[in-house]
Amino acid sequence: MLSLLILVPMLGGLAIGFWPGQITAFSAKVIGHVTLGLTLLWLGVLASQFNLTNPDFQFEELLVWVEPLGLSYRLGLDGLSLPLLVINSLLGLVALYSSDPQLHRPRLYYALMLVMNGAVAGAFLSANLLLFFIFYELELIPLYLLIAIWGGARRGYAATKFLIYTALSGVLILGAFLGLVWLSGQTTFNYDRQMASALPLMQQTILLVALLIGFGIKVPLFPFHTWLPDAHVEASTPVSVLLAGVLLKLGTYGLVRFGLGLFPTAWMSLAPILATWAVVSILYGSLAAIAQNDMKKMVAYSSIGHMGYVLLAAAASTPVSIVGTVFQMVSHGLISGLLFLLVGVVYQTTGTRDLTQLRGLLNPERGLPFVGSLMILGVMASAGIPGMAGFISEFLVFRGSFLIFPVQTLLSMVGSGLTAVYFLLLVNRAFFGRLAIREVSQTPQPDLDLPPVTWRDRVPALGLAALIVALGLQPNWLARWSEHTTLVLHQPYQVQARAWPFALPSPSLLADTLRSPLP
Amino acid sequence: MSSSPVAPAHPLEPFIQSLLSAQALLPDSETNLLEVVGILKSYGVVLDAYSRNLIYIADHQFLVLFPFFKYFNGDISLSRLLRHWGHDRINFEYAEYCMKTMLWHGGGGFDQYLDSQDFLDHCHRATAAKIKGNTLVQGLSRVFPDFLPEQVRQLAYYSALGQFWRVMSDLFMDLCDRYDHGKISSIPQVVAHIKAGLVAAAALPITYAVTIDGVVYDLVPKSAGITFLMDVAVPYVEAVFFRGTPFLGTVSYNAQAYQIPVEQSQFEYGALYADPVPIGGAGIPPTLLMQDMRHFLPDYLSAFYASQGRGLADVRVKMCQSFQKSMFCVTSAALQGLLPYPADTQEEGESQANHEFLVAWMNRLATSRLAVVQF
Repeated sequence: MLSLLILVPMLGGLAIGFWPGQITAFSAKVIGHVTLGLTLLWLGVLASQFNLTNPDFQFEELLVWVEPLGLSYRLGLDGLSLPLLVINSLLGLVALYSSDPQLHRPRLYYALMLVMNGAVAGAFLSANLLLFFIFYELELIPLYLLIAIWGGARRGYAATKFLIYTALSGVLILGAFLGLVWLSGQTTFNYDRQMASALPLMQQTILLVALLIGFGIKVPLFPFHTWLPDAHVEASTPVSVLLAGVLLKLGTYGLVRFGLGLFPTAWMSLAPILATWAVVSILYGSLAAIAQNDMKKMVAYSSIGHMGYVLLAAAASTPVSIVGTVFQMVSHGLISGLLFLLVGVVYQTTGTRDLTQLRGLLNPERGLPFVGSLMILGVMASAGIPGMAGFISEFLVFRGSFLIFPVQTLLSMVGSGLTAVYFLLLVNRAFFGRLAIREVSQTPQPDLDLPPVTWRDRVPALGLAALIVALGLQPNWLARWSEHTTLVLHQPYQVQARAWPFALPSPSLLADTLRSPLP
Repeated sequence: MSSSPVAPAHPLEPFIQSLLSAQALLPDSETNLLEVVGILKSYGVVLDAYSRNLIYIADHQFLVLFPFFKYFNGDISLSRLLRHWGHDRINFEYAEYCMKTMLWHGGGGFDQYLDSQDFLDHCHRATAAKIKGNTLVQGLSRVFPDFLPEQVRQLAYYSALGQFWRVMSDLFMDLCDRYDHGKISSIPQVVAHIKAGLVAAAALPITYAVTIDGVVYDLVPKSAGITFLMDVAVPYVEAVFFRGTPFLGTVSYNAQAYQIPVEQSQFEYGALYADPVPIGGAGIPPTLLMQDMRHFLPDYLSAFYASQGRGLADVRVKMCQSFQKSMFCVTSAALQGLLPYPADTQEEGESQANHEFLVAWMNRLATSRLAVVQF
C-alpha cells in the first residue's frame, strides 16, 4: 500500500519521459497533476486508516532485497513521516502547477519532478537505513538536473556546488549507517530504535557526529549552508518551493529520525552543544538575511535560521519540543513555499528581485496588491505572529526547549525577532511607497505599466496562505498525527534524564515540562 | 565691434511656438483625441453634479454648523440615506477639496473682494439675520468675531466654484456632442473649442446671495464686478492645476524638513504635476474624482482602456492619465485665451510680450508632467 506513494509518481515520471509517442508540455503537466493528485488522494486514504495512538510504523511492507548486505525493501508510516509526506505531495502539486507552461524540454522537466517526488516519498517511508540512503541519493539526481538545466545564469556553478555538498552529506550518512550496523554486529539495516543501545558512548558519539554533519549539510546548518543561497537564487520558482519546502526537511527528518531516534545517549551528551549550534545557525541565518538585497536570497537565509529551530527543539527533546520539530518542519515548508512562490511572481512580473530597485508593489491598481498582501501574511507567519502556523511551531519549540536550555532558547527568540526585522525591511522596501522598479531617473519616463498577475498565479499562494492560517488556528489538525510517535521518541530521554542528570538543569523542571499538555 | 550674444532658446520653446500657432501642449493624435474627449465627457457629467451640489450647499446650507445632509441636495429619505451609506453616490468631497484649495491659495479679484469692508458689511447683515435668536452662536461670534465671516467666505467659494463648473460642464458636454457629430477631429480643435468657451464666458458675472426668512441678502453683489475668467477661472487654474495641496497619499511629506516649500506660490502639487500611479489609494482626492468619472465613461473610451495593458483593472490610473492630458488641453486654451495680444500679431513688441508671457508659464511647467504626456 505504501509503495504506491513511491511508485505512482515514479511511474508517472517514467511514462512522461519515455512514452514513445509525442507528449505536449500541457499533457505532461496534466499527467503530472493527475499522478500527484492520486498520490495525495491515496495518502488521504491511508491517513483515514492511520491509528493515531500507535507510535510505531504502520502499513509496514517488507521485501527482502539484497539479503547479504542487509538491504531490505522495508517501508513504514508513522506520525513523523505522515505530515512530511503530505507536504511533499502538496508542494509537489503546487510546484507543478506554478511551473512555466512555456519552459523548454517539458517532458524531461515534468519527468524529473515526479521522480524526485517519488524519491523523497521513499526516503520518508524507508524503515531500512540503506533504503533511506538510496532514496536520499536518488533524489539528488533530478534536483541537480532541475537546477542545472532550468536554472538562472549561474546555474552550472550552483548545481555543482549543491551536488558536491550533498554528495558529501550522503557519504557521511552512509558511513555512519555502515559503522552502526558493523559495530553493533547487526545483520540487517532495518530501522530499530535499539540498534545503537549496546554501543559504547564514544562509538555512538562518533557515529552521531557523522550523521549530524551529514544531515547538517542538508538542513543546512551553519557553516555547511553556503550551497543553499546559490541553489535558491539560480533555481526556478517551483524548484525553490520544493527545495525549501520539502528537500531541506530530509535533513531535519534525518536528524530527528536517525540522530535523536537511534543515539539517545550520545544525543543527550551532545545536546548542549547542539542547542548552541542551533543558536549560531539561527542568528547567523537571520543576520545574513538582513544584509541581503535579493529577495530570494533573503528568504533562503531565513530558511537557514528557521531550520535552526528544529535542531534546538530536537536538542531539548522534550515531548513538547519534539512535536515542535514536526510542526516547525511543516509550517516552514508551507511558509517558505508561499514566500518563494510570491518572490517568483514578483520576479516574473517586474523582472527583478533587487530590493534596491523594487518599490511600492502594493500599489492598488498598477502594482501587485494581492501578491503583496499575501507576502505580508507570509512574512508575519514566518516572524511568528499569532494566528498562523509559524507562531504555533515557534511557541512549541520555545516552550518545549526553554526549561532545558533557557539561554539558548532566549537567544533563539532573538532570531525570531530578527525575522521580523529583515522581513519588514523586505516589505517596506519592495511593497510600500511609490511604485517603481528602477532608481528615480532625471529623464522623464512613461508611467510604470506592469503586466497583470492572473488568478492562475495567485491560486497556489492563496491555498498555502489558507493552510498557514488554518494550522495557526487549529494546530491540533497537525499535532494529533505526530504526538504519539514523538512521545515514544522522547521516552529514552525520560529514562536518561533520571540516569544523567548533568545534562539537565533540574529534574523538577524537566518533570514540569513533561507534564505540560500537548496543544 | 562686438555682436550681442544670441539668447539661448527656452528649453520648452517648441511648446511656446505650438501655443502661438494655435496648437496644444498635448501632441495631436487619434488616441489622445479619443482619451481627451472621452474623459471630458464623463468629467462634464461629474462637474454637473458637483456644481449643483456646491451651489446647493452655498444657498441652502448657509451657516448650518452641522450640515449632516449637505450632499443630499435637499432630497432626504431613508432609501437615499441607505444608498449613501452603501457608497452609491458621487464623491462630493472632491468638489470640496477643490473649493478649499481655492480658498486656501486665494488670488484674483474674488479673493480680494472677500477681504474688503464691503463684503464684511454684507456678511454682517446676513449673519445677523441668520443667528437672530440663537444665543449660542451669537456668543460664539462675539468671542471669535472672525469665525462667521470666514465661514461665509468659504460658502462664497462654494458658490463661485459651483458657478464656474456650471459653465465648464456645459462647455465639455457641448465639446463631446460636437465630437460625436464629427465636428471635432483634432486636439487643436478641442483647445479652440475650450478657448472659445472661456472667452465667451469671460465677462460672466459671479454673484452670491442667500435668502433668510424670505429676505434676499447679497454677499457678492453684481456691483462688486467679479467676473468668470479673471476672478474665478484663473485662480482656479492656479490653485487646482498648478499649486494643489500635498495631500496624504503614498508619499509622506515632512514639512519640518522643508520637503514642502515655505511659500505657497512654489507649490507644485496640482493636476498638471500629479502622479497618476498612486490612484486607487484610499481617500486621496484624485481617487475620488476617478471613481466618480468611472461611472460615466463613454463606451468608446471604456473599450479603449480595456484593450490596453491591464484592461479595466487599472482603469482609474488610465483615466487619471487621460484626465491629465485633457487638463493640458484646458491649460493650452487658458494660456491662449490669456495672451496679452493676439497670437498672430505682427507687431514685434506685442509678439515679444506674448513670448515673455508664455516663457513665464513654461518656467512653471518645466517640472510638470508635460514631458510625460508627450509619450
